[in-house]
Amino acid sequence: MDDLLKIRGLKINFYLGTQVITAVDGFDLDIGRGEVVVLAGESGSGKTVSALAITRILPRNARVVDGSIIFDGQDLLGLDIRQLRAIRGKDISYVFQEPSSYLNPVYTVGDQIMEAIRLHQNKTKQEAYAQTLKLLEAVKIADPARVAFSYPHQMSGGMNQRAFIAMSLASRPQLLIADEPTTALDVTIESEILQLLLTLKDTLGFSLLFITHNLTIARRIADRVAVMYQGKIVETAPVESIFTDPKHFHTKELISAYEQIGRI
Amino acid sequence: MAGYIGRRLLGLVPLLLGITLLSFFMIHLAPGKPTVLQDSMNPKISLDVRNRLEKLYGLDKSLPAQYFLWMQRLLKLDFGRSLGDDRLVMEKIMERMPVTLSINILSMVVLFLIAIPLGIQCAVKEGTFFDHAWTILLFLLFAAPTFWLALLLMQFFGITLGWLPISALKSLDYEYFTWWQKIGDLARHLFLPILVSAFGSLAGVSRYMRSNMIETLQQPYMYTARAKGLPEQTVIYKHALRNAILPIVTIIGLSIPGLLGGSVIFESIFALPGIGRLFYEAVMMRDYPLIMAEVVIGAVLTMTGNLIADIAYAYVDPRIRYKK
Amino acid sequence: MNKTLIIGVVIIGFFTLIALLAPFLSSYKPSDMDQTHMLMAPSAKHLLGTDSLGRDILSRMMYGARISLTIGLIAVGIATILGLILGSLAGFYGGFIDSLIMRFTDIMLCFPTFFLLLAAVAFLESSIFNIMVIIGLTSWMGPARLIRGEILSLKEREFIQAERALGASHFRIIAVHLIPNALGPVLVNATLGIAAAILLESGLSFLGLGVQPPVPSWGNILIESKSTLGIAWWITLYPGLAILLTILGFNFIAEGLKQKIGGF
Repeated sequence: MDDLLKIRGLKINFYLGTQVITAVDGFDLDIGRGEVVVLAGESGSGKTVSALAITRILPRNARVVDGSIIFDGQDLLGLDIRQLRAIRGKDISYVFQEPSSYLNPVYTVGDQIMEAIRLHQNKTKQEAYAQTLKLLEAVKIADPARVAFSYPHQMSGGMNQRAFIAMSLASRPQLLIADEPTTALDVTIESEILQLLLTLKDTLGFSLLFITHNLTIARRIADRVAVMYQGKIVETAPVESIFTDPKHFHTKELISAYEQIGRI
Repeated sequence: MAGYIGRRLLGLVPLLLGITLLSFFMIHLAPGKPTVLQDSMNPKISLDVRNRLEKLYGLDKSLPAQYFLWMQRLLKLDFGRSLGDDRLVMEKIMERMPVTLSINILSMVVLFLIAIPLGIQCAVKEGTFFDHAWTILLFLLFAAPTFWLALLLMQFFGITLGWLPISALKSLDYEYFTWWQKIGDLARHLFLPILVSAFGSLAGVSRYMRSNMIETLQQPYMYTARAKGLPEQTVIYKHALRNAILPIVTIIGLSIPGLLGGSVIFESIFALPGIGRLFYEAVMMRDYPLIMAEVVIGAVLTMTGNLIADIAYAYVDPRIRYKK
Repeated sequence: MNKTLIIGVVIIGFFTLIALLAPFLSSYKPSDMDQTHMLMAPSAKHLLGTDSLGRDILSRMMYGARISLTIGLIAVGIATILGLILGSLAGFYGGFIDSLIMRFTDIMLCFPTFFLLLAAVAFLESSIFNIMVIIGLTSWMGPARLIRGEILSLKEREFIQAERALGASHFRIIAVHLIPNALGPVLVNATLGIAAAILLESGLSFLGLGVQPPVPSWGNILIESKSTLGIAWWITLYPGLAILLTILGFNFIAEGLKQKIGGF
């Protein structure tokens, strides 16, 4: 398959005073064009850090020390910060866990979406505003104008996450990285958001890297599943075979956890 | 928002009553009781002064009647006449107010112009040599008495270098100056007082700004801003700054008591005709009506400052502004 | 012990020692005048010079240390005890008592401390005793609020609930359990309070309204400094440095204690 993203031997260190902690070591992952890959693993296994490392938006005290991240034919780790910024938000976008705290509380939702549009597209304010309304409609928001003029604290988590998705897709990225985007939401809202992501993926044709600790979601949306354990990718398999023939013990653990939830 | 302001205003009523009551009891601290004969022997208060105070505050009446009289006078902003020159206390204060106000406002501007960028830079460069050096420097500045700094600066700029005048508001030949010269003259006289006054709060405000900024830089929406592809300058000065600077507006209101207290000291050092120096003179001369007026006005200004701080914060923070 | 705390303790220990041993360390009496040696620059005979009455600055500063430290300690002692009593009453009983005490605290906080001090020395008299008491009476509000907050949060903890269930008296709960547990933050606050009180006293004395000459205090040695600017820099420099170092010492102790107890 023609790979959009090819990560090999990624290693990430955290620096705490004089201590060096290796959070990720041995992270290999491929994502094809239009493919949905679910990255699963318990919390603290290094999923989020690995995702942030792709466009190098890591915390200050974390650094990629080894490996390669080939995106669309070029190694992102070899790019300088200016070249990387041109890719962030344009070719690779993110959706995060808690929409209400990942949106800036002092700017309206509309302002934040317009900022994303005008950063990567040469548009006037009016054009950007018109596109903002269209984007909000595309994520199934009923009254886009009202939402555009609202502050994040005035809206529900579900609405914020829709608006966030609209913002992330503003410049038609090739890869959307969704880091537990539904964990903070109600089950019904979660289902709606998942459906929305799948629909948008089909119409816009992006690849989706979906991070979760919940294998139920993997079964519903994934083409392939990668399982992460203690900073390593320990198993990658098509979604059908991961449930029927798990190889790594942690995959089995995750599956049994999922089956227990299913039973309740 | 309107409801919020209304609630806050209502909360002022008990505070105001408390201020009038407490200041009322203060009057009774004045030495000597009218009924005791030895009063004339008390070197600190002559019989004549005692009689005037008795008349002003109705000290021969019952306590409730006295308090009623005091309240009545306060409502009319009538603090009586100065024991020194028999002029109306309120008039004396009002003519001194502009000097104190303008110095404090200007020093506040200078303070924010230095402290905010400094705090931001220290936060952005947290843990670097720049940050450590400023931490130590500001710790020293924080420990230095303001009036001592004033003396050192007077020594350096006024005497060693001879660049700036070290006292008063105007030169003696001010009246003969052209318009431009007058402005220049005032600026030269005000330079040190404003600098010193700003220095007094520099350490506190810039440290506060630094810690706000450090906290904001760790907020989740900082990741969003970077993930969008924004340049670091925009991430910091648009997305972080707006959030980190909000609480700073409250400082303007909350620093009023400190500024008033500071005014007494540096208006005295620089011989500036403001209400601080007026207070100092009143204390030296035991001008009780003037002292009482300063205390009450100081308390009301502080209370108003707190109110403005709260409202300003509510206004700049949309999370509070749009709450019912 | 951390480094900050040690530096602070060393500085304050140094000044305390000087204050205690002032009569043995000083080669002159603080009020001894010497008309033949007025405004002498620092020399072997007068290490820190003399003032306009020919008094030895070093000796005056040694005795001044006694005054400044005593005023700081006693004023803060008064403020802390008052704060402990009012704060714990408010925090423990809640309801009407709480709102009464806290309203009174709010009212007191409206009066600028320095204004109250000035008014008090005008109405009463500026003796050392009065200054200590007045600073104490005008700075208990901070400790009171702090203690109330601590007690409110402690009150809900299990061991206090258990005491209550066992029928312990109110006084016993407050004195034996609540106050000792709230002591850490109070100690830090008191240390900062000593610094603030010394600053207040020095400002007041500098204006000629505090400690009255011939009794020396660091603030009142500085009274002469404005009239001797350009003639006798040592009168300005040394007492100010002493104040600065003392404040610094107390601030270091507070900072060190804070680190030791854990942030709050």
